[in-house]
Amino acid sequence: MASSTTASLAASPAFTFSASTFQKLHPTEYFRKFVSQGVRPDGRLLNSFRPTTVHQGVITTANGSAMVRIGGTTVVCGVKAEVAEPKLDAPDQGYLVPNVDLSPICSSAFRPGPPSEQAQVVSDQINRVLKESNVLDLKDLCIEEGKAVWSLWVDVVCVSYDGNIYDASLTAVMAALANVRIRKPTYEEGVVKVSGVDNTDEDDNSSFKLKLARTPLSASFVLFDTSLTLLADPNFAEEAISEGQISITIDEQGKLCAVSKVGAATTSLTSMRQCVDRARERSQELRAIMNQHQ
Amino acid sequence: MSRLDRTRTSPHQLRPFFSSQNLLNRADGSAQFDFGGSSVICSVVGPAEVKIRDEKLDRATIEIVARPLVGLPGVKDKTLERNIRETLEPLILSGLHPRTGIQIVVQTMKEDGCILSTAFNAAILALLDAGIPLKSILASVTCIIDSRTNQILLDPTIEETTHAKSTHVFVFDNKVSISSINPEDVAMDEDSKEPSHTGILFSDSTGLFTEDEFFECANACFKAAQAVHGFIRTAVSKKLEKEYQQTRA
Amino acid sequence: MASIKTEQPPGSLLPQGPSIVLPGDLLPAPGTRLVTDDDDAFITTSTTAPVIKLGPGLLVDDDSIGAIKAGILKHTPTGNRWWVESNQRRYVAAQGESVVGVVISKSAEHYKMDIGAAQHALLGVLSFEGASKRFKPDIKIGSLVYCRVSLANKDMEAELECFNPTTMKSDGYGELKNGFAIKTSLGLARRLLDPKTLILRLLGQHTPFETVIGMNGKIWVDSESPKKIILICNAIKNSEFLSDTECKTMVKTVIEKL
Repeated sequence: MASSTTASLAASPAFTFSASTFQKLHPTEYFRKFVSQGVRPDGRLLNSFRPTTVHQGVITTANGSAMVRIGGTTVVCGVKAEVAEPKLDAPDQGYLVPNVDLSPICSSAFRPGPPSEQAQVVSDQINRVLKESNVLDLKDLCIEEGKAVWSLWVDVVCVSYDGNIYDASLTAVMAALANVRIRKPTYEEGVVKVSGVDNTDEDDNSSFKLKLARTPLSASFVLFDTSLTLLADPNFAEEAISEGQISITIDEQGKLCAVSKVGAATTSLTSMRQCVDRARERSQELRAIMNQHQ
Repeated sequence: MSRLDRTRTSPHQLRPFFSSQNLLNRADGSAQFDFGGSSVICSVVGPAEVKIRDEKLDRATIEIVARPLVGLPGVKDKTLERNIRETLEPLILSGLHPRTGIQIVVQTMKEDGCILSTAFNAAILALLDAGIPLKSILASVTCIIDSRTNQILLDPTIEETTHAKSTHVFVFDNKVSISSINPEDVAMDEDSKEPSHTGILFSDSTGLFTEDEFFECANACFKAAQAVHGFIRTAVSKKLEKEYQQTRA
Repeated sequence: MASIKTEQPPGSLLPQGPSIVLPGDLLPAPGTRLVTDDDDAFITTSTTAPVIKLGPGLLVDDDSIGAIKAGILKHTPTGNRWWVESNQRRYVAAQGESVVGVVISKSAEHYKMDIGAAQHALLGVLSFEGASKRFKPDIKIGSLVYCRVSLANKDMEAELECFNPTTMKSDGYGELKNGFAIKTSLGLARRLLDPKTLILRLLGQHTPFETVIGMNGKIWVDSESPKKIILICNAIKNSEFLSDTECKTMVKTVIEKL
């Protein structure tokens, strides 16, 4: 239908308008023109990701932190360790609580008030990846069995939202967890004592790092148009016109930690395989970026 | 090998299905769907009046509410709502009922694994019962990979899930399965050649697994989903048969 | 009704017996074949091809016709009409259908009616037999009115009328006084209008009553006493999932209570 509209518009020379007007009137058709040429309006190829940077230790008051930029999306993650009482049914396990905050500060698409559905869903996705693929043994967070454990509050705040929040948040969480240093506690007669300075850079004996079994990182794609063309690392505009989203989370050994596909279009197994292959490359690139800044 | 629930003999066997449509009096459509010990009731109201604030000029406003078995709805239920909405919303031809609202409520009744799949199947039966125009229908099946045997177990119980190294939920529509899939194609993937037309409508996997394991799960669930599709068809025909007893003669 | 030209394959594509379709199923029903030449596919502009008329429950999607509701695929050779007969509880107004509505509010020009659809419907105060600026019928809020849908559009509220526009006569439409109304499924209402359905005849053999069946699933019943009305209403409701013989025994037990 859209194609016939533009055909008739092109036929009448009186009806011309600027590219930005065209984009607003027919966002999908505007996009289709680019995609048919194998590029995207922002100059990227269909399967390329936006420039990505990772900075660790950006918040000095946190036990671990990281800031991740993927194109126009910026997220900051801070990890704070607190002493807490363990659960009765798991007396030797600590807590790892990820939370993603999408406040109106990052985009006008979000409203103030209780966490939006999207924020809750991304939090849940990250939580499941951390738990189900055993990233961190919660027993490492035990101070005294049945009495005291560490509770790690992993808070992700989005500062600027331009799509692909899951990749950005997961990368930030993993970078921040790798950056965590917690002072060694002592437990005496019901009192937990921690000594030394928080977040020291030296590897002295007064603090410990987290033993991360693996570092899952993700790559997300959207399906565009009826041709179901795969677009890697969607920005906000691309997410809005997509027919479906695919996210692949993969660890350094190439094992999959999570796969998700939602949305209107059905995906063939062949394009799923393409996504997995591309995700494998991407996660290695991302890992290289992370290690560069360490 | 027998399964942990002792009623099943094969890893690819599903628990008995049960469904009942039109069981709520005040809703426009309702259905219950059971996978063995898991049960979900879903109600559909609409196309009905909608608050002016939520009104959309070109299509119906679709609202999904997920209610847990006990307690108040939490993050898990939000994820369930979002998964169901993202999958069902495109299937509903909402453009045929502009400026109206369609409310879908999903209530867990019994929980013994595979709640997401059970909810998907209950929701589609309820939508059919309500007569909401749909592009196609769907069927969902869950599987896990057992950490001890590395075997794919379809439709796991909660007990079996505790031994899972990964969990996979799949949804398939019936667009391909009726017209272009014949038994030979499905049999093809026995020797790891996958039917190229298998389209995944929804998939959600977590845990630790290889690429090959993922696609094996997709194929196993696809085959099992055909049984669910068949069951949905039987359920609908049974209901129609009951309705048309008097005019048939 | 969307009309679409199509080529019929050699031999008819009529499915045998009642065939049940689900959303996503393509027409013709499973077991029969679609005409598809490679590029010049299903829809052809050939002038000799017969025209298919599509009714409720079917939709043209790209180059195929698919069902969008679960029900029985029906076909009449006259006009080559195809449709899906399905059942639901929520009414969607369709032009020309007779419905029973409840007056919600009234203004100088319209009565606002609840016909069980998503939006209220409008019944003009002049849409009655013999109504004029000076002489308007006075119907109270809450009254039942039997009327016809004169205009139905998915984007607008439906409009109703209480006369036949060609003859300007009431044709039986108008306010329903006394009696009692029940809500049933749309399928049951449609089947009650089918003379093959036994239940109304069975009840009529035992006790006189008046009934009005609205396509929106609202059924109005009037009889000699409230007790009889309620028994008749219950019998109609109960008959939905019963066979002829079951109906007979059900009616017998109901009549015994009179």
